[in-house]
Amino acid sequence: MAAIRQSGRNSRLNKKMAIWALFTLMVIIAVVMLYPFWYIIDNAFRSAGQFDRQAGHSLIGWKELFANLPVAAQLLNSTLVCAASIAIILIVSTTAGFAFAKLRYRGSGMVFLLVVSALMVPLQSIIFPEIVNLGNVHLTSSYAGAVLVYAALGTPFATFLMATYYRGISDELIEAAVIDGLGYERTFLQIAIPLSLPAIATVTVLQFIQIWDDLLVALFFLPTNQRTITAGLATLATGRTTSIPPLMAGSLISAIPAIVVYLIFQRHLVKGLTLGMGK
Amino acid sequence: MSLTEAKTATAIRPAVRRRGRSGRAAHSRLSRRRRRAGILLSLPALALVVALIGIPVGQAVYYSMTQWNGITATWIGPSVYTALFKDPIFWRVVENNALLLLAVPFAIGIPLVIAALLNEHVRGWRFFRSVYFLPTAISWVVIGMFAQRFFAATGVLNNLLSHVGFGASATDMLAGEHSALVALAITFIWSMVGTNTIIFLTGMATLDPTLTEAARVDGLSRTQIFFRVTLPLLTRFIQFSFVITVISAFSALFSLIFVMTSGGPGFGTTTLEFFIYQAGFQQVQFGTAALYGVVLFVIMAIAGLVQLRLIKPDDGGGW
Repeated sequence: MAAIRQSGRNSRLNKKMAIWALFTLMVIIAVVMLYPFWYIIDNAFRSAGQFDRQAGHSLIGWKELFANLPVAAQLLNSTLVCAASIAIILIVSTTAGFAFAKLRYRGSGMVFLLVVSALMVPLQSIIFPEIVNLGNVHLTSSYAGAVLVYAALGTPFATFLMATYYRGISDELIEAAVIDGLGYERTFLQIAIPLSLPAIATVTVLQFIQIWDDLLVALFFLPTNQRTITAGLATLATGRTTSIPPLMAGSLISAIPAIVVYLIFQRHLVKGLTLGMGK
Repeated sequence: MSLTEAKTATAIRPAVRRRGRSGRAAHSRLSRRRRRAGILLSLPALALVVALIGIPVGQAVYYSMTQWNGITATWIGPSVYTALFKDPIFWRVVENNALLLLAVPFAIGIPLVIAALLNEHVRGWRFFRSVYFLPTAISWVVIGMFAQRFFAATGVLNNLLSHVGFGASATDMLAGEHSALVALAITFIWSMVGTNTIIFLTGMATLDPTLTEAARVDGLSRTQIFFRVTLPLLTRFIQFSFVITVISAFSALFSLIFVMTSGGPGFGTTTLEFFIYQAGFQQVQFGTAALYGVVLFVIMAIAGLVQLRLIKPDDGGGW
């Protein structure tokens, strides 16, 4: 802060120093934010002994990880659960968002509020009724139960986001398409959907990261042999018998897909997190 | 959806074509079609949310007043709530939630400063922005895994302390009830840096640069401009991040606690959301779990109502 104050004075030298101070401060913050990642990478490539001594590297940690955790199968589980949940979320949120924005009917405002207000319900509050309900209809012995729960949890915000986006499309455009004989459903599929691809990307990225990283649903709604990588890793960590390097290796491999998605689609993620706040 | 939709889609077209010829009657037919399409398209989302969130909320309220093990439920009645407020364990758990709230000012203040630094747009600021946002993509499980190694007796923190000559002050933070909660709070603050910095940076981008320019001409220093001009204009964004941070502190830390401390030592890091898990899974008292769930829900609903007001679109009504 001191650095910033100084630069208010006009001296060129002071300004240059202020910029360097600012830069240094930003580097320090970057180190604080990146250190955990460095620690995880560094210690993933060690054996238990090398970890204790904090010297030397090897692939023993990875061997241990693959011996204790079905990594490939769990990565596949994560991918399938993510894909199925996001597909459902996209279908119901684009249709409902379009309806709430462009096809209002008496009571549609109330229905919209009802859907969006589900945002306020933390899963923990309803987790046991949910588990019992889904168990009663035999959906907790496969992906289906978890996928439905993820879909239901993601739908309120996604619907809000899509409705907001569709409200930005002019009514005239929609009306013109309908009068041209497209009908409401085809107008939705052929006009509205292509126009809303940026919002669809935002929902997809946001939900991918959320579902990929989730533990609660994965732990309690998936059968043990169909766990996601995040849930597998968490149970491995609480097992207490495993040494640190395989846990770090597992952390690394589970984090990479989400990091890659984040780096590619950063812009969409930022948009989704600050929706309705900026202009 | 495809079958029913396709049917209505083909049914609509003739009605639409007739519109030009028979004027008003066709128009009302068109608006009827529109209404029907609207109901049809919003139905799947409504069904999903009602079946998987709405109904379980009702069940949770009912079961909170019972003794329930997942199969048989014995009715006790609303007296469970008065009993709850007399239960010392409940207050011990709520105390942890209240103490976690002390982390909220830090989880907002630090990102505010970071956003202000980024907003200076020094060379390479885009790179720094990507780095600061990165934790947003990382699961609490992975963060907790690192944090556990960071705060452990033989962990990074104590190592660091002994290197700079404070070896004597080395402690196992995760072994003490209060220090474990502090460790949890620090981890939480670190994790919120990404999200809150994004919110504030977006806020700063919406500010009119002529305002800070005018303040500079008036002779205010940068610090003064930050506190007197920028900060007041960011009020809405600060409120928004406050709500998000409180909601996260109360309902997003399950995985972090699960990996870092399992709620311990003792009740040290058992928050409301974690106690729900313990009551249900370790003691098979689903009724008690539902009871705590209802309390958590009420707190979240209050925070959520504030949030809904804040993210309401600018033109106000219409929904």
